[in-house]
Amino acid sequence: MSAIESFTRVRLIAGTTFLEAVRQKFFNSLLLISIALVGSSTFFQQFDFGTGELKFITDFGFGALFFFGSILSITATTQLFFNEIENRTAVTMLAKPVYKLEFLAGKFLGAHLLMLCFTLVISLVLAGILYWREAVLLERLGEDVILDGPLIRYGDVFLFGFLQWLKFGILAAITLFVASFSNTNLYTIVVSFFVLIICQLQYIARDAYSGMETGWERFLVQGLGLIFPNFQLFNIGDQLVFDVEKALPVSTILQITGYGVIYTVAFILLAQVNFRRREI
Amino acid sequence: MNFLQHPLVLRLRRVLTALLILLLLGLLTRPLEAPAWQVVKSGQPEMNLAAIEGSLGQGLVIGVLGGFRAIMADFLWIRTNTIWERKDRAKLDAMVRLVTTIDPRPEFFWINGSRMIAYDVPNWRIREEGGYDVVPEARQQAIDLDQSTQAFDLIDQALGFHPDLAKLYLEKGQIYLNRLKDDANAAKWFLKASQQEDAPYFAARIHAELLRKQGLHQEAYDFLKNLHNELPNIPFAQKGIILERVRELENTLKIPFWERFQPALGAAAKSAVEVAPPTFDPQAAHDHHDCSDHEGHSH
Repeated sequence: MSAIESFTRVRLIAGTTFLEAVRQKFFNSLLLISIALVGSSTFFQQFDFGTGELKFITDFGFGALFFFGSILSITATTQLFFNEIENRTAVTMLAKPVYKLEFLAGKFLGAHLLMLCFTLVISLVLAGILYWREAVLLERLGEDVILDGPLIRYGDVFLFGFLQWLKFGILAAITLFVASFSNTNLYTIVVSFFVLIICQLQYIARDAYSGMETGWERFLVQGLGLIFPNFQLFNIGDQLVFDVEKALPVSTILQITGYGVIYTVAFILLAQVNFRRREI
Repeated sequence: MNFLQHPLVLRLRRVLTALLILLLLGLLTRPLEAPAWQVVKSGQPEMNLAAIEGSLGQGLVIGVLGGFRAIMADFLWIRTNTIWERKDRAKLDAMVRLVTTIDPRPEFFWINGSRMIAYDVPNWRIREEGGYDVVPEARQQAIDLDQSTQAFDLIDQALGFHPDLAKLYLEKGQIYLNRLKDDANAAKWFLKASQQEDAPYFAARIHAELLRKQGLHQEAYDFLKNLHNELPNIPFAQKGIILERVRELENTLKIPFWERFQPALGAAAKSAVEVAPPTFDPQAAHDHHDCSDHEGHSH
């Protein structure tokens, strides 16, 4: 079997998975809720103390992207995987010359495409709201302020979206890895959420171990820091959009991208190791 | 059955293998992750746990809430105000700390929280103990000191996040001045505030005034002379008032006319001459009507 044939099979599985996913009520509901929430950020802004309007809207939008994106990434991947197993369509598919790795890669790419749509839509809505509020703000200020450049770097909204999408990729791969040895939908979702929280918080453990005296606790914490990927690396919303001085260098963006891709591939391969042994 | 072929042992072996692979992966990606993490961390002070004592909760909040922490903190602040209205001091303290833990970025929470703790809570406590007429002066002072110390702790935490924010130094100075009536420490904090980039001009003037209040006339005189030379010639700098105080101090210190402070000529002189005695600087008569430095309030 050539690489082109293999790629075609993965593409076909991914396409079908993606179509199946966008038709899901769960995806559409979550997307609508997220859009509504980001859209209503100007309403919530009246409860804000201290931060600027545009900063608040950006924070809120980034928060919605992270929160709902994480939920969607885990649940959609789990559903898409277990639908095939429970409906026995996986048996039919794998009876044909389709490798289990191709099946997993197709499922992953389908789910990841779904996340790309979600991320793009939320980023576009957020950028649109920011553009509108920026125009209103500048009109209100009139000619009293002279700006060196634009108030908002819109590219950064999409850069944050891209990095979140990478993170969702790792998360989807982790979910597939958990699903590869799990028997139920619920178990996969719960374990994946725990892993998400650990990955979000592992930097605390790492910072803590640096202050520890040598001992088994130190090795344990150090090990935890190495086993789970650091999701806070993708949490750079505070350094984007407004503050030119804080802008991240391109090399850092590339490093984060590389880190995300390596972990995604690694978890898919680990999922394949488990899934290969699995009786369907 | 061979022990090594036992399903549990096999499963354990698989788990350990997966963990080992992830451990190796963590080590392999470290050269990629470590420099990026340094850059990300340096841009977000709330992530520098080593630098901020007791900030474990901070890390948890950032990790779990992400961008939603701003709105969460805002709603909790509204709740804090309800508690403040009910004068529930135990809950108030906890809420102020919770809000600043959830979102340490806005200065509003730190400053208003410290004001509640330093100014409002002592009043409540004194009233609870019978009121200002009943509670002995020493006890009132002890309560003020206790509450001010708590407010200082909060401001010190805030300084971990906003080390260059003049308002925080000013807040500490104000508490020393207004609540503890400690002019020496207040002067110290007003001086620190005046040294920050975003410091208002009045911070330095209050520092000098507090030196004068303590009887440190020579120090106040030297400080004001330097201040006058350093300040720009803009109305907000109120150089006229500074010169007025310099003259007052020269009279207090009985400095001979020939040794008295002479502001730099040129644009700066405009503000200087308006308050200078005619005998000292005859040029003043010509510029007498230029009062641009007297705009705004003075301290």
